[in-house]
Amino acid sequence: MRIIVLGFGNVAQPFVKILCEREKELSGNFGLKPRVVAVVDRGGAIVSSSGLNFTRILEAKKLGKSVAADTKLGRPRTTGMEIIEEVEADVVVEATPTNIVDGEPGLSFIKAALKKKRNVIATNKGPLAIALPSLMELARYNGVCLRFSGTVGGGTPLLDLGKKCLLGDKIQSIKGILNGTTNYILARMTEARVQMDDALKEAQAAGYAEADPTYDVKGIDSACKLVILANWLMDRRITIKDVNISGITEVTLNEIVKAEEEKAAIKLIASINGGEASVSPRLLPKNHPLCVGGTLNAVTFTTEFAGEITLVGHGAGGVQTAGAVLRDLIDIKRELSL
Amino acid sequence: MKIVMKFGGTSIADGKRIEQVIDIVHENIRGKNKVILVISALAGVTDNIITAIGKALSGDQEAITRIIEKLKLDHHRLAKEVVKDEVVLDAVLLELNELVEEFKRVIFSVSYLREVTPRSRDNLLSFGEKLSASIICAALKADALKVKWLSGGEAGIVTDDHFGAARPLMNITNQQVKERIGNLLDEGIIPVVTGFIAYTQNDVTTTLGRSGSDYSATILGAALDVNEVWIWKDVDGLMTADPKIEPLAQTIQRISYSEAMEMAYFGATVMHPKALEPVAEKNIPVRVKNAFNLKKPGTLVMEEKLVKLGDAVKSVAMIKDVALITVSGAGMVGTPGVAARVFSILSENHVNILMISQGSSEANISFIVSRESSDRTVNTLEIALLGGDTVKDIISENDVCVVAAVGAGMKGIPGVAARVFKAVADVGVNVRMIAQGSSELNISFVVQEEDSVKAVRALHREFRLDKSEIT
Ligand SMILES: NC(=O)c1ccc[n+]([C@@H]2O[C@H](COP(=O)([O-])OP(=O)(O)OC[C@H]3O[C@@H](n4cnc5c(N)ncnc54)[C@H](OP(=O)(O)O)[C@@H]3O)[C@@H](O)[C@H]2O)c1
Repeated sequence: MRIIVLGFGNVAQPFVKILCEREKELSGNFGLKPRVVAVVDRGGAIVSSSGLNFTRILEAKKLGKSVAADTKLGRPRTTGMEIIEEVEADVVVEATPTNIVDGEPGLSFIKAALKKKRNVIATNKGPLAIALPSLMELARYNGVCLRFSGTVGGGTPLLDLGKKCLLGDKIQSIKGILNGTTNYILARMTEARVQMDDALKEAQAAGYAEADPTYDVKGIDSACKLVILANWLMDRRITIKDVNISGITEVTLNEIVKAEEEKAAIKLIASINGGEASVSPRLLPKNHPLCVGGTLNAVTFTTEFAGEITLVGHGAGGVQTAGAVLRDLIDIKRELSL
Repeated sequence: MKIVMKFGGTSIADGKRIEQVIDIVHENIRGKNKVILVISALAGVTDNIITAIGKALSGDQEAITRIIEKLKLDHHRLAKEVVKDEVVLDAVLLELNELVEEFKRVIFSVSYLREVTPRSRDNLLSFGEKLSASIICAALKADALKVKWLSGGEAGIVTDDHFGAARPLMNITNQQVKERIGNLLDEGIIPVVTGFIAYTQNDVTTTLGRSGSDYSATILGAALDVNEVWIWKDVDGLMTADPKIEPLAQTIQRISYSEAMEMAYFGATVMHPKALEPVAEKNIPVRVKNAFNLKKPGTLVMEEKLVKLGDAVKSVAMIKDVALITVSGAGMVGTPGVAARVFSILSENHVNILMISQGSSEANISFIVSRESSDRTVNTLEIALLGGDTVKDIISENDVCVVAAVGAGMKGIPGVAARVFKAVADVGVNVRMIAQGSSELNISFVVQEEDSVKAVRALHREFRLDKSEIT
């Protein structure tokens, strides 16, 4: 299977490493022979129709060079759009940085790939939050798969559980903690009685928060994930504009202490039921199943037959997300050999 | 005698060549022959048009303008060189200008829309032949001959609307060509017909695909029941082997239609197999002659019973740039339908298979595809077949070649295969895969690329092709 990888950072690099390390197993167990035929970063692209060998490329990337710096196969300044147009492939993995304003460059990449009848695996939430209903329609219309397991819950198979294990049942509402960074900050404020700024610095020092934590603390990251869950699991054709968002920036240490005295905690909860979709800090009793600590994520699905199901697991890091991309890839291979 | 003569692009490339065309025509007329000329585009012109279409698709109008200017200049220059009569020259220059203007209008509309349909593509491609036919016609006219040039469609060739590779509707074509070209011949006018192009039933321009001008010539020949079709090329004729591989290769004097088609399949000939169909049906001989060496007799392609069979093998061909793909898995034994699955996947993906062989253990299937499609083929098969219990591995080897011995003489004669493989084994070449078509006109096999030249020469020697009759 020929794969184009757009963006070559914390997600895409472990992904290609996994492909190399698991070559035997992927072919033996799943009949999957992945060949990465092109990789694109900000500096350009590297292309080989028979499949790239990554030892050298990863070394160069470590030294801060672009993949395009390769003297033989590199193509400086070639853009993702050009590669999608020119290089024959079965799957495009989109892993460029999230942008919630206009979704670019990911949105254009995904659209172009779908129109070109390429299956797409996205790890980038931006384009999905802005345009998931259109993208799903575009994929269906072109007869290809659009998968994005890595965007919600990372290693925890939230999307698959809802879609595959509850066949025939109906999810009526979804409620949960979808962002590990803010959960960590709120938990530290509770445990150590520190101000939010300090808790945030701790999170950054521990590698749980980005240098720019805006999307996390403003609740945007959670809202993006809620949009994805709602579309995929509940057939609710919403985008991020339809979500009422307030983040944790207004939460004070005082409020947290007060909650604690009432055997409760403040959590950033994303929820959608029959009516509105929202992200906001809410008070939960300490013994509530969603009341998890640390960087954990937790989601409760309320379904017609099975009632409430709560899934608790770690949110994403690069490796977990790479693993989710691999899950999607195997899924697509199965679809294609039907 | 009535003869259709087709001149390829290199045979009319410059003033000297065209004078030779005029001489050939005069000579035939003195000999009381009736000739119909079929003309290709000048060498390189069709490629230039294709380039221009590419530029039009990217909207590069400056580049288009440059190509158009060059097109005009080249044809003007040639016309001035060969048309030796002021009045005729003025007329033809005007005609060339009009054709170029028309071309310009079509290509610019492509560049505005940035879209070329197979139909507009055929329309654009047709200009190369129209321009050259116009010049040849004028040159003959200036030399006091009665001539008229027509496009293939005007001459009466009607095809289906499979633009880019149209097939003639032979019955309508026969009738129309007989009328239109027949009338001209009756009036003593020499028809000059553009090769390569034709019309649909609604007079929309189509093209006949690869070797299209040869095809035009044989279609006209069949329709007019001519005595012979002459194809003027820049080679001596069909050879016993590619002279670049085997310097001792000889020109084959006579060969049957089916042998020539078989050779064409193995890339060895100067004519496309489908171009031989119309004449083969009517047993009209085709003479392939060298326009650069008139003394050479060329090759006569004709009915089998008139061809001397000679030794079993008449020619040794080689297809380079192929890949050997092997699909294997122990689970394939006794599982019905694996081969069918493989080949239906390949045909769905438009992969052309040159050779197939299946081991009798059924645990693998091997086949040959063009090297350029091998990556894509392997990938497609991997996605479709791996992951189940039957197929375990799909590998491709890119360093192989197909070698084929072709000849009608091997039909029903035992021991030819044994001679072929002994000769190859004697020079230490290992054979990877073998196939014999049911027509028994060829034995073909796969060898490592590095062994291919050795294998060709061994066969050439074994069947004494270096000594085949030459006069
Ligand atoms: N990391 C995680 O834990 C995680 C988890 C879930 C989802 N995600 C999402 O997955 C995506 C990738 O994450 P990441 O951590 O791998 O990000 P990252 O480390 O910042 O890597 C981003 C990559 O995209 C490339 N890039 C930026 N602009 C580009 C453009 N215009 N064209 C082509 N390539 C471009 C960058 O090129 P240079 O190398 O030249 O800078 C870099 O290789 C993001 O959308 C992220 O939100 C990440």
